[in-house]
Amino acid sequence: MTATHAAARVEEPSDGDGRTAKVPAAAPRRSVLRGRALRTTGFHLAAGLLSALWLLPIVLVLVTSTRTFDDIAAHGVGSWPHSFTLDGFRQAWVDGGQQRALINSLLVTIPSVLLSLGLASMAAFGLSRYDLPFRRVLLLLMLGGNLLPPQILLIPVSKLSEVLGIYDQLYALIGVQVGFGVGFYVFVLHGFMRAIPGEIQQAAVIDGAGPWQIYWRIILPLARPALAALSALSFTWIFNDLLWAITVLRTDTQMPITASLIGLQGQYVSMWNVIAAGSVIAAAPTVAVFLRFQRHFVAGLNLGAVK
Amino acid sequence: MTAFNASRRRFLAVSGAVGTGALLSSCVTQSPSASGGKSGGPVTLQSNLSSPQAKTSMQQLVAAFNKSGGAEAKLNTVASETFRTQLPTYLTSANPPDIYTWYPGSVAESYAKKDLLLDLDDIWGKPELSGYSDALKKLCTSTSSGKKVFVPTSYYWWGMFYRKSNFAKWGVQEPKNWDEFLDLCDKLKSKGVAPIGLGAGGDTPWVASAWFDYLNIRVNGATYHRELLAGKHRFDDPEVRKVFDTWDEARPYFDPNGTAIPFQDATTALLQGRTGMMLIGTFFADAAPKDALGDLDFFQFPIIDPKVPVAEEAPTDGYFASARSKRADGVKELLSYLAGAEAQELYLKNSSGTALPTHPDAKDAGTPLVVKGRKLIESAADVTQFFNRDSSDALQPTADTALVHYLAKPKQIGSILTTWQRSAQKIWSQ
Repeated sequence: MTATHAAARVEEPSDGDGRTAKVPAAAPRRSVLRGRALRTTGFHLAAGLLSALWLLPIVLVLVTSTRTFDDIAAHGVGSWPHSFTLDGFRQAWVDGGQQRALINSLLVTIPSVLLSLGLASMAAFGLSRYDLPFRRVLLLLMLGGNLLPPQILLIPVSKLSEVLGIYDQLYALIGVQVGFGVGFYVFVLHGFMRAIPGEIQQAAVIDGAGPWQIYWRIILPLARPALAALSALSFTWIFNDLLWAITVLRTDTQMPITASLIGLQGQYVSMWNVIAAGSVIAAAPTVAVFLRFQRHFVAGLNLGAVK
Repeated sequence: MTAFNASRRRFLAVSGAVGTGALLSSCVTQSPSASGGKSGGPVTLQSNLSSPQAKTSMQQLVAAFNKSGGAEAKLNTVASETFRTQLPTYLTSANPPDIYTWYPGSVAESYAKKDLLLDLDDIWGKPELSGYSDALKKLCTSTSSGKKVFVPTSYYWWGMFYRKSNFAKWGVQEPKNWDEFLDLCDKLKSKGVAPIGLGAGGDTPWVASAWFDYLNIRVNGATYHRELLAGKHRFDDPEVRKVFDTWDEARPYFDPNGTAIPFQDATTALLQGRTGMMLIGTFFADAAPKDALGDLDFFQFPIIDPKVPVAEEAPTDGYFASARSKRADGVKELLSYLAGAEAQELYLKNSSGTALPTHPDAKDAGTPLVVKGRKLIESAADVTQFFNRDSSDALQPTADTALVHYLAKPKQIGSILTTWQRSAQKIWSQ
C-alpha cells in the first residue's frame, strides 16, 4: 500500500509542468493507478483467500469442539452446527484426564528445555571458544547422531530405562528428551557462539575472568537470541512428542497431553466434539509459546543456516 | 473386532517393531523372581477402554472390587491404539502389568504359545465361571497347552441394522432369506435409497470383513471359515470364489460411497435415511444420538444355504493375565470377580448398554434390541469372533486390501484372490 501511495506522489510534481500535457496525460496515469489498485486488491484477495483456506481446518476444529455429540452424530461432522455447548471441554478436561496430562507435559517439557539448553550451551561454549582436542570429531559425532532416525533406538531406550529402574517415571522421559535434544542444540549454539568476536573474550581474560565467568557473564548473554529461538523450538518439539512418551511410560497418570489426546479416541466410536476440544486444550500451550516467542521463532528458522 | 487405523500406519509399524524387538530381547531382562504368588502392591489392570464413558465405567468397576475387601486393584487406562502396539512390550517387560483387556481365541493363543499368559485353570473351576457355556470354555482354552488362559466378560453381536421408522415409511419388512433380502434391496433402490451402507472408508476398512465373514459362514459354514483363516485352505479356492459370486448378487445395492466414508459417517447416513441398512456390530450405537436409539432394530444376516448350520458373529471381550505377574493370587481374585454376574451387570449398567454379559445369570440392559440380540446368539449353532480375532491382526490388512479392491473392481476378483492368498501365505508362514 505504502509503495503505491509513494509512487503516486512522486509523479505529482511532473503533473503541474504543462497544462496542455495534463489532459491527455491524465488518462494513462489513471489507468496506471487503476492497474496498481487492481493488483493490490488482487494480492490482498488472493492472500486473504489463501489464509482463509489455511485457517479453515482450525475453525472447523473450534466449531466442532463446541457442538454436542448428538448433533454431530445426527448431522455429520461436516454439517452446519445445530448446537452450542462447552461440555466437550469439560469431558476432555475432567473425564478424559487432560488436566493431569497437561501438568505432566509441563513437568516434562520445562525441565527438559532448561536442562538440555543449559548443558548444550556449556558444551557449545567449550567447543567453540577453546581449542579442545577432538572438538571437530565431537561435533561431527553430535551431527551424526542427529542424522540417525531416533526410532531405531526405541527398543534399547525402553529396555535401558527398565534396567535403570526409571521405566514408567517422568524422569525417564526427561532423560530421553535431554539426551536426544542436546546434540542438535550444541550444533546450533556452536555455530552461533563461534561468530562472537574473540576480542570480547580476550578483553574479559585481561580483566581476570575465568572460563566460568566468561561463559556466564559474557557468552551466555550474547547468545540470548539463539537461546530464545532454540527454547521456543525445543518447547514445541518436546511438548508435542508422543513416541518417546508411550515408549517409556505406561501408567495413565504419568502420560503427557499427547498420549491422553489419542486416549480420547474410543475403541470404535470417536466423539469428535470431545477430541476437538481436547486438541484445542493440547494446542493452547504451544500456541501461547509461539505467540510469546514469535520473533525468535522466525529467527530460529535460519539459525545456523549461514555460518 | 478391533479398530484399525490406517492413518497411523507408520506409527504402528514403528511401534510394532518395538513390540517384536521386545519379544526377541525379552530373555535378557527377565526378572529372576517372576513366579512368586504373593507380592505387595495392588493388582494392576491395564485397560484399553480409553473413551471417557468406558473409562468411567471401568473405574467404577474397580472401585467396587476394592470395596469388597481382599486384594486391591489399580486401573491403568491407555489409548486403545497405544495399547495394541505396546501389548507385546508390556507382556515381556520384567515388571509387567498384571491383567489386560483383550480378546480370546487365536489372538490370545499367539501369546499363550510364547508362554506369556497366566494359567487360569483353577479359577475356571470356581462357581463364578463353572456355569459358562461350553463354547466359551473352548474359546478360552489355549490349543497349544490345553490350559485356560482367558476370562470372558462380555460380547456383542453383528446384524443388519436399520431404522424402524424408515422401514415403515418405505413400507418394507425384515427379510427371512437371501432372496427376500435381494427383493428388499431392489425395492429400496427403486425408492432412491442406497439399500446397503458400508462405511469401509477412512480408517475403518475392516468393516468390509464383516461381509466376507458372514457370507463365508452362510455359504461354507463356520468350520470352513475358521480353517480358512488358520491357513488350512486357500483364498483362491473355488469355495471362496463362491462367496464372492454370492456377494456379486448384492453388490449392486451397496452404497457407492461405501468405501469412501468411515463407518461413523456411514452410521449418520443410515440414521438420515440415505442408506437403508448396514451390517455392523452393536458398538455403532455409540455413534448414534440418544434419541435415535429406540428407533434402531436389526435382523439376522439372511440365510443363504439352509443346509449350512447357522452361525453368528459375536466377538467376545475379556481379560488375560501376564505369566510373570508377581501377584497371581490377587490376579485370580480380581478375575473371578470380573467373571461374576454382579460385576458384569455393574459394568453394563455404566457403559453404553449394547453389550451382553457372558455370565449366564447376569442381566443385560433389557432393551428390546438387546433381548433380541441375546436370543440371536443363544440360538446360533456356532459362534465366530471376527476376521482378525479368528486369525490375527497381521492377516486383517490383507483382507482390507482385497475387499476394498474387490468393491472397486469386482471383475478382477480372480487376480485379487490370488494376491490375497500370496500375502496371507507370507503371514501364515511367519
